[in-house]
Amino acid sequence: MKFRYAMVCSSNQNRSMEAHCLLKKQGFDVSSYGTGTHVKLPGPSLREPNVYEFGTPYKHMFDDLRRKDPELYKRNGILPMLKRNLSVKLAPQRWQDNAADGYFDIVFTFEEKVFDMVLEDLHNRDQVLLKSVLVINLEVKDNHEEAAVGARLALDLCEQIEAVESWEDSVDDILICFENKHRRKLLYSISFY
Amino acid sequence: MVGIMNPVSREKLASLSNSVKFAIDLGPKLELCRQLKRDLLEEDAAALSEFLSHIFDLYSDPSGPVRKLATEIIGEIGVKHLEFVPEIAPFLITVLEDATPAVARQSISCSIDLFRHTLEKIAIQGLHSSELDSDLESSWSWMLKLKEKIYSIAFQPGSGGVKLVALKFVEAVILLYTPNPNGSSEPPPNEGTPIEFNISWLRGRHPFLNVGDLSIEASQRLVLLLDQLRFPTVKSLTTSMIVVLINSLSAIAKKRPAYYGRILPVLLSLDPPSFVIKGVHVYGANNALKNALLSCLQCSHPSAAPWRDRLLGALKEMEAGGLAEIALNQVHKVNGSVEDEKDHSSVIKEEKPMTKACDAAGNNVGRKRSGTEDSCDLAETSDVSGKRVRSTPSVSEESTKELNRNTSMSQGDISSAQSTTRKVDVDTGPVQQLVAMFGALVAQGEKAVGSLGILISSISADLLAEVVIANMRNLPPTHSHTDADDELLEDMCIIGSNTQAKYPSSFLVDVVSLSSTFPPIAALLNSQQSVPNEIVIQKTEVDEEVDVMAGLNSTVAYAGMAHEAENALLPGMEKIDVPTPSDIPDVSNLESGIPGLDSSFHNDGLSDAQAASSLVSTDLEDASQEQGTSFGGKSPLHVLPSISIERSEELSPKAAVNDSSGVVSSTATSVVSSHSFVLPKMSAPVVNLSDDQKDDVQKLAYIRIIEAYKQIAVAGGSQVRSSLLAYLGVELPSELDLQKLLREHILSDYINHEGHELTLRVLYRLFGEAEEESDFFSCTTAASAYETFLLAVAETLRDTFPPSDKSLSKLLGEAPCLPKSVLNLLECLCSPGISEKAEDSQSGDRVTQGLSTVWSLILLRPPIRDVCLKIALQSAVHHLEEVRMKAIRLVANKLYPLPSISQQIEDFAREMLLSAVNIDAAEITDAEGLIIESHKDSELERPSHEHQSMSSTGKDISAVSHQSETYQSGSSPSVPEAQRCMSLYFALCTKKHSLFGQIFIVYSSASKAVKQAIHRHIPILVRTMGLSSDLLEIISDPPSGSENLLMQVLQTLTEGTVPSAELIFTIKKLFDSKLKDVEILVPVLPFLPGDEVLLLFPYLVNLPLDKFQAALTRLLQGSSQSGPVLSPAEVLIAIHGIDPERDGIPLKKVTDACNACFEQRHIFTQQILAKVLNQLVEQIPLPLLFMRTVLQAIGAFPGLVGFIMEILSRLVSKQIWKYPKLWVGFLKCALLTKPQSFSVLLQLPPPQLENALNRTAALKAPLVAHASQENIRTSLPRSVLAVLGLSPESQSSSQVQTSQAHTGDTNNSEKDAVAEISKESSGAS
Repeated sequence: MKFRYAMVCSSNQNRSMEAHCLLKKQGFDVSSYGTGTHVKLPGPSLREPNVYEFGTPYKHMFDDLRRKDPELYKRNGILPMLKRNLSVKLAPQRWQDNAADGYFDIVFTFEEKVFDMVLEDLHNRDQVLLKSVLVINLEVKDNHEEAAVGARLALDLCEQIEAVESWEDSVDDILICFENKHRRKLLYSISFY
Repeated sequence: MVGIMNPVSREKLASLSNSVKFAIDLGPKLELCRQLKRDLLEEDAAALSEFLSHIFDLYSDPSGPVRKLATEIIGEIGVKHLEFVPEIAPFLITVLEDATPAVARQSISCSIDLFRHTLEKIAIQGLHSSELDSDLESSWSWMLKLKEKIYSIAFQPGSGGVKLVALKFVEAVILLYTPNPNGSSEPPPNEGTPIEFNISWLRGRHPFLNVGDLSIEASQRLVLLLDQLRFPTVKSLTTSMIVVLINSLSAIAKKRPAYYGRILPVLLSLDPPSFVIKGVHVYGANNALKNALLSCLQCSHPSAAPWRDRLLGALKEMEAGGLAEIALNQVHKVNGSVEDEKDHSSVIKEEKPMTKACDAAGNNVGRKRSGTEDSCDLAETSDVSGKRVRSTPSVSEESTKELNRNTSMSQGDISSAQSTTRKVDVDTGPVQQLVAMFGALVAQGEKAVGSLGILISSISADLLAEVVIANMRNLPPTHSHTDADDELLEDMCIIGSNTQAKYPSSFLVDVVSLSSTFPPIAALLNSQQSVPNEIVIQKTEVDEEVDVMAGLNSTVAYAGMAHEAENALLPGMEKIDVPTPSDIPDVSNLESGIPGLDSSFHNDGLSDAQAASSLVSTDLEDASQEQGTSFGGKSPLHVLPSISIERSEELSPKAAVNDSSGVVSSTATSVVSSHSFVLPKMSAPVVNLSDDQKDDVQKLAYIRIIEAYKQIAVAGGSQVRSSLLAYLGVELPSELDLQKLLREHILSDYINHEGHELTLRVLYRLFGEAEEESDFFSCTTAASAYETFLLAVAETLRDTFPPSDKSLSKLLGEAPCLPKSVLNLLECLCSPGISEKAEDSQSGDRVTQGLSTVWSLILLRPPIRDVCLKIALQSAVHHLEEVRMKAIRLVANKLYPLPSISQQIEDFAREMLLSAVNIDAAEITDAEGLIIESHKDSELERPSHEHQSMSSTGKDISAVSHQSETYQSGSSPSVPEAQRCMSLYFALCTKKHSLFGQIFIVYSSASKAVKQAIHRHIPILVRTMGLSSDLLEIISDPPSGSENLLMQVLQTLTEGTVPSAELIFTIKKLFDSKLKDVEILVPVLPFLPGDEVLLLFPYLVNLPLDKFQAALTRLLQGSSQSGPVLSPAEVLIAIHGIDPERDGIPLKKVTDACNACFEQRHIFTQQILAKVLNQLVEQIPLPLLFMRTVLQAIGAFPGLVGFIMEILSRLVSKQIWKYPKLWVGFLKCALLTKPQSFSVLLQLPPPQLENALNRTAALKAPLVAHASQENIRTSLPRSVLAVLGLSPESQSSSQVQTSQAHTGDTNNSEKDAVAEISKESSGAS
């Protein structure tokens, strides 16, 4: 695996973690992040989301929600999701605070808003390394089923990218091919570290 | 620094580099390289100079990653030790040509670092001295060469990954070569400070670098970059290239606003659709362009200003959907030019839910926090609901433009004001500017009223609040007179009714400060204004709770409240001067209460406030009672007394609030009255409510609406109205409660309240929300709200309506989707007992209801067809027969005919069937042998059930042992259990006869109970099915082991009807070919022709006795149409016609058959027997059993004796003695029938008579006595008499005669007799 990958969604819970989990299983060098200010999980009502800070361990959230209303959170899939997450890594991480994690070659986002935020953040960093990074947005609806589909698509795309010598030369071909194959629209940009 | 390298580390490095060189595998090699890099970077320059060549050598490595790493190492060495640049730069130039793009890219990456450092060093050195050392100079010249080389890559035609980085390099150089307006223009005092290099440090006093030249070069390069994006060059670029170019250019534009005017025209003229050639990935470029333009738009530099309109235009064109966002940006831009936009927006982001609609204009209590206010505000505001929700002044675009003019117009004022305000407050520059602007406008008097109104309405609430607070510092320590205030107020009120709140800033300040801390004080202050008193500067966290109190203040408080509402939006309040009247006796008390506000305002603060206000009211005549009462009344209720009564507002909840709470209304009126007293023209107050209060108000309003709906149902227009109700119920924020209310309303009278329609509307709304492309938690929440609602309604419908009601079915049929819980409900309905115990008498009807619902769902909702089908199928194997039969009826009659699901139903039924039989479907289909095996096995086991496990283990056949295991494992289902599993399949068989075959297959291996269950079903089943070709086919080739089943089927088929010719033919054929068991023919016996039956007769006789009897009955009864097949006589004759030897039938069977006939005396009567005997006696040879039958006949019917005598005498004439067996019988008969038989005996020839008498001694004496009678004796020949010993001749002579005669006889009949005897003896034995 010659590239480093990052999976980014807003809360680093569902979509990015699904992809992280899958890619990790496939042996990719992968990390995952969220771009939101907080980690938000559904609560008993729209008005009462469960809000955590980035860095709060998944285990903690899991215990917290299980204590609050195990039935509800089991039914809406939150507890299973957290359980999956805590098997992948310790806690949700925020993209904007990941400077210490080194540079990535490929960044996947799953929502255009997140895509924009990642790009904005990358542009705001000091681009001194001149190390190019490919940011791809694959629009995935934020629910469990779609996240699973999205993760498989991301894996497929990662495998395509991994297969070429350097993505800089063939990114267009890869993406067009992917779009035709899966009928999914992709958005990408190139930024630098 | 040590000049000489440590020998140890040198050795270590050398060996390391060698091992790198000779490492074979890539992985370890790279690891070694990294190790080498770490070590090398710790070395000093002198050491490295020795070693550099070694590293250059590394570059000759064939593998790309190693070369890349080597380049990286060299680059880092270069950055650390710039003196090596003259060596490293040429190296990097060569690397640029590397065949591996990644390596070449690495070279560029290194180059930019090196270039930056070199430039920095050279610049700083030049600043401090006028001479540069030559090393540095040569380094620089090398760097320039390197730069040119990279330039050439960047601008050469074609594309590739290297070019991307090269372009980025160009960008970096441009940025380095041009002054950074935001950076410090002074070089750092000492060299070590890490500060971003800025070319403007040089200021033209560098001996070597000319700022002007550099900037010319930068600008030339920029032109080159821009040219790339110009038509037609752009057509030859790949998307990635375009993206990088756009990003680079926008970065340059942002960082060096001086270039705005050059870069933007190019970006703006870039039309992504036009450069789509050869399927280039257009979205990427499009998006990059959009983002670039947006980021340019955000730039606050003055030179960017002229471009805004064009940028906006371009962005609008690019995506119409983002219009709102753009308009938003525009507004921010306008604000941003005066204030610090960053701060502003960050505040707003933090306070998102509250800031929402809190524009200076709105302040409508009924607004929602969720961001879709379509009801009250202007069109733009509703558009804001897009990505980011921000506070926006609700002004039309025109007014924004106008404002734009205004602001620019007043710019002069601001700048002039700045000089004064800056002294006072350095932090809040923009706020001070605004303050000054307000001041200037107010100073203009009525002329500026319009502008002032627009200005107020266009700046956001929190900013306005900030302005007011800031202005407080300008207040004179002693408060002005009320008169002055009034004047000012009047002044403000002229502004007009269309704008919202008008605030004379100086006047408002104290009100704000007071009301925000403690409303009663404000009231106090109002009456005691003239008392000057400066006290504490207090820092107060103004939380929303403050609002509760705010509404109380009479008169002046109005304006204050509005402000205060806005203050609440600020994350933290500024410091406020709180003037407190000193002559109030309880000041100390009040003061002590105030600090409590921070944390627990409600508890401490409120009680304190109450105490204070009561004290105040006694002290002061002016402080009206209203105040006290309204306050007192309010606090227990917790309801906000103040109302936002914007007259023009359409959806003001005023009425609702008024009506719902009497206290509130009274407060409101009191407020209003006092208001009108002092300020006749003041517009209504605007009060912010806390979330809880909003919920309360909304809930009350909603309850009221619902109640109203109950009454106006007659009014018509229900369509629209129920839509509205549903919408409100879902859309209002405290959705859970309201939905409950709505649900209660719906369910309280489902039919009259149009419950169905209303429910559907609610569901569709919720569903839409859940499906909406929104964030994770909101759609999950909506989904669960949806589920709760639907489930609650469904449950109530189930529980309250009679089972015959169709509402539930209709609801489920039309709901947008059915979540799992609802399906569970349905399942419980269809299969009672799954989760709850079966209900009373209604449960049956409920099942019907559930099933019919499932049926309609299957028809109406293809997507959940499978799930519903599963429910129906589960119900079809329910343990309660009643439930099961209902479900089976549904499945078999209604669902099975549907082609799309019939296969599924069939599979399920088969599976259940097989499960009953305890054999896997797989086994039965793929291993025919197994069936036979298991059949054997079960046959074996059948007699001794206890030993089955032993016997099967003994056989040691894996399949069999497997089967016995399943037997043992306790399944061996009971009959009801087997029926439970199989009923469905049987029902399907009636629909599709070919399925019946499976039952035959299964039957052979089935357990006893299962067989029993099958047998129970068969009559009904077969009768329903009738005879079809499928059935015939099955019958024609039944699997072995299924004979019993076949028998039953045949019996059923022939019962009461005439079997068709085909059936008879099939059975006969089966009998002839495969199945030799005559039993199968029994059912059709009555319908066979007599002669055929006779042919079969031996087989029939060979049956077990009971079966023979059954067959016999059938034969004799015959069918109703054609009468008996055989007469009893024919039957008996047929039996006698059987030759045990020839037919291979044990004699015993034949005798048994005879006995069976004799048992039925009512059929086999005396006459019939006589007739039979008459015929039999004529047969030659005589039937073997003839004499036996004769004996039986006598036993059965003694009246036959005379007839028998005739027979006997005929036998004598037939020389019965020649048949030894019959002869014995004859004698027995004679003995039995004495004395009648004497005359027959006497007809025997003497030798035979003698033989007879010898054999049966008992006969002799009576016969002699009989013969001695005179009349008889005379008629007897002498020889006979001699035998009898009645003749006078000697005994001996007679003896001789007899023996002679005997011998002669024997000789005469020797031929046939010998054969006969041997045959008989063998047959009889």
